[in-house]
Amino acid sequence: MPMSQFLLPDLGEGLEEAQVVQWLVDVGDIVQLNQPICQVETAKALVDIPSPFAGTVRVLHAQPGDMVLVGAPLITIEQPRTSPAPATSDEEHPPVLVGYGAGGPPQTFSRRRRGVDHGGASAVTVTPPPEATAVPGVERESKASPLVRKIAQERGIDLAAIRGTGPGGRIRVEDLESVAGPVAVAAPQPTTTAEDEERISTVGLRKAIAAKMMKSATTIPHFVEYSLFDATNLSALRDRLRGEGGPFAGQRLTFLPFFVRALVAAVQVHPIMNSRWDEEGNAIVVKRSISVGIATDTERGLVVPVIHNAHAMSFGEIAAEIERLVPLARAGKLDVRSMTGGSITITNVGAAGPVDTGAPLINAPEACVVGFGAIKLRPTVVGEQVLARPGAWISIACDHRIVDGATAAQFMGALVSGLENPDSLIQ
Amino acid sequence: MAKALHTHPQAREGDDNSIGSLVDAHGLLTPEAERDAAVSDDQLRELYRMMVICRRLDQEGLNLQRQGELGLWGPYVGHEAAQVGAALAMESTDWIFPYYRDFAMAVCRGIDPGNILTIFRGLTHGAWNPYEYRFAPFIIPVGTQVPHAVGFAVGCKFDHEQTAVLVGFGEGATSTGDWHEAMNFAGVFQAPVVFLCENNQWAISVPVEEQIAGRIVDRAAGYGFPGVRVDGTDVLTVYAVVRAAAQHARQGHGPVLVESVAYRLQAHTTSDDPTRYRTDADLDPWKGSDKDPIERCAERLRQRNAYDDTFAVAVAQEAEERASAMRQTLVAARPPHPESVFDLVFANPPASLMRERDEFTSSLEQGGAE
Repeated sequence: MPMSQFLLPDLGEGLEEAQVVQWLVDVGDIVQLNQPICQVETAKALVDIPSPFAGTVRVLHAQPGDMVLVGAPLITIEQPRTSPAPATSDEEHPPVLVGYGAGGPPQTFSRRRRGVDHGGASAVTVTPPPEATAVPGVERESKASPLVRKIAQERGIDLAAIRGTGPGGRIRVEDLESVAGPVAVAAPQPTTTAEDEERISTVGLRKAIAAKMMKSATTIPHFVEYSLFDATNLSALRDRLRGEGGPFAGQRLTFLPFFVRALVAAVQVHPIMNSRWDEEGNAIVVKRSISVGIATDTERGLVVPVIHNAHAMSFGEIAAEIERLVPLARAGKLDVRSMTGGSITITNVGAAGPVDTGAPLINAPEACVVGFGAIKLRPTVVGEQVLARPGAWISIACDHRIVDGATAAQFMGALVSGLENPDSLIQ
Repeated sequence: MAKALHTHPQAREGDDNSIGSLVDAHGLLTPEAERDAAVSDDQLRELYRMMVICRRLDQEGLNLQRQGELGLWGPYVGHEAAQVGAALAMESTDWIFPYYRDFAMAVCRGIDPGNILTIFRGLTHGAWNPYEYRFAPFIIPVGTQVPHAVGFAVGCKFDHEQTAVLVGFGEGATSTGDWHEAMNFAGVFQAPVVFLCENNQWAISVPVEEQIAGRIVDRAAGYGFPGVRVDGTDVLTVYAVVRAAAQHARQGHGPVLVESVAYRLQAHTTSDDPTRYRTDADLDPWKGSDKDPIERCAERLRQRNAYDDTFAVAVAQEAEERASAMRQTLVAARPPHPESVFDLVFANPPASLMRERDEFTSSLEQGGAE
């Protein structure tokens, strides 16, 4: 039975790689022509790949999460003998456009390229495995695609020492295998996983979070300040608003919209907190509009929906926007605009557990992130007495390139003052 | 001569409202206009058939791109009524100047779809002889085909040909200078042109409301000729209105702008990710059977008792066969011979170029190209 290998094509214009998100078929499955076989994510889009052959799936060449280079094998399918007669040579069968760059060189005008193997004795037939031999000391010019050259370079393989098994002695990816063991054409081969370990691929959101946090932790010089605020008035105000006859009667009304309003008011006094460090221009860029990101825990990981232009919104509008955005974020249905364009971020560190406070990481490239802990009864000095009163910790992390400690302290003062005297927040 | 061209008393007195009155406020053919159009059951079935075939070919084009057989694909799902309706409304003696998305128009003109695909595989710049099909090459730069069409139409008029020219473009093209110049020129010279704006409401990522203040159809008035806005999901309306517009043009009454309003249901091209600028919810109003060109046509056929399962199955089967044939033609297509780079620019190549060609040929023979 002829084996046909499908090489990852250039799915956009000039793409070099794609990440396998999930397989829609398994080894042994029978697939039809055009049946979706997997989802891959390119730099441009999430794409379903339809099978180019009918037959039985024999090899999946990458795992979910692997990056696959354009021109590298994605899947091998065994085609039934009843398939349309396969071409017998690469010359007779046209190549697939695997890419403008990595797919194969227009080095010869016969345009022999690595492409879909339609079976038979074609140049990229994978069974039986062709013999490739290292021939030390034989000097000649090596014919190989840029992909093969790249892999060879990465693995320190001297192409001149390999006898290619492709047409005209062209060196194929498989030929490298015989020299260097299995070639990971995809992302670096995962290290071995012990039996008591589980290996979790980082795909999509988790990968994006990882990249962003790495950037934040390694490129922004953070400092953090903490303060406790007395939430007696805030709790009373919230109870009044959502109590019988109040404007939010019967509604849940969390503390979050109050935090957003207090943050906006404090930023209006200290606009420098609403800025970013421009690496290229070596300047501080202060945003005039205040758009507040709300760090939100979802099943897939951290998502930060943005309340755009919060400075122009009333308390009620902010509360309604939070009620709209957070469920969308949890359901993974935010559009791109709702996830981008923030200028400062709030993280509710007390929302998920008994956590008083923490040192948050800045949501790069912003200058500041504000963490609010759980509001609960705390021993509070009032006059000369210690009373049990509701309170919570605030932590603010700042980019020290932009903000100094004293400025952050003044900003904290404004924040605490707003929350302890909250009537102005709802006006 | 020029002066004579500028004055068309009989044309200017033409009933400019007659085309606009074919449709109601929703852009649908009025009952009277439908009666007058007298589109037969067979004609309507042919419109249905071509739309089903072309939608299937569009899907296959997308598949082929994702399988690495094409470098690029620009889906036209949602445009079937506009493209099929307009192309079949033109006489075989008329000309069509398409934009890059007008694949279905090319298919309706009888061009082999597998050959058309060789363009998107990078094997050729034009896969047919325009004079053979009276179908100009696909144009990739936005809007440049519009002045081509107008110039060609004025030429037809010089030659006293009874020929109308249909030119297709998206709503984004109406923001280009070429489009305005062409509209102006067509109005002044009373060129026999039907301007078909396939308003799919997205110019890549730019929504129509950020593209145009006011309505596209109203721009025709500024250039002195009629415009009509039609529901671009109803093939009967598109067909009848474009046919009337072409007749109007052929009879010397000058150009007509037809704005066909539908929705781009897929990405701009395979190099585009529409989820970055629009949501699934944006598509919802356009996904129902009341907005699907094929479903709407089937419903019209049912009302005429001209639709049954046998017919629908036969059409679907034919669409499958056409898609399969298109795939086979494409994968069997060969890259052009390198020397063909010298072939298609000069009718009478200069001697210097011929020498270069000979040198190139001999270097190929000696293996120098390696």
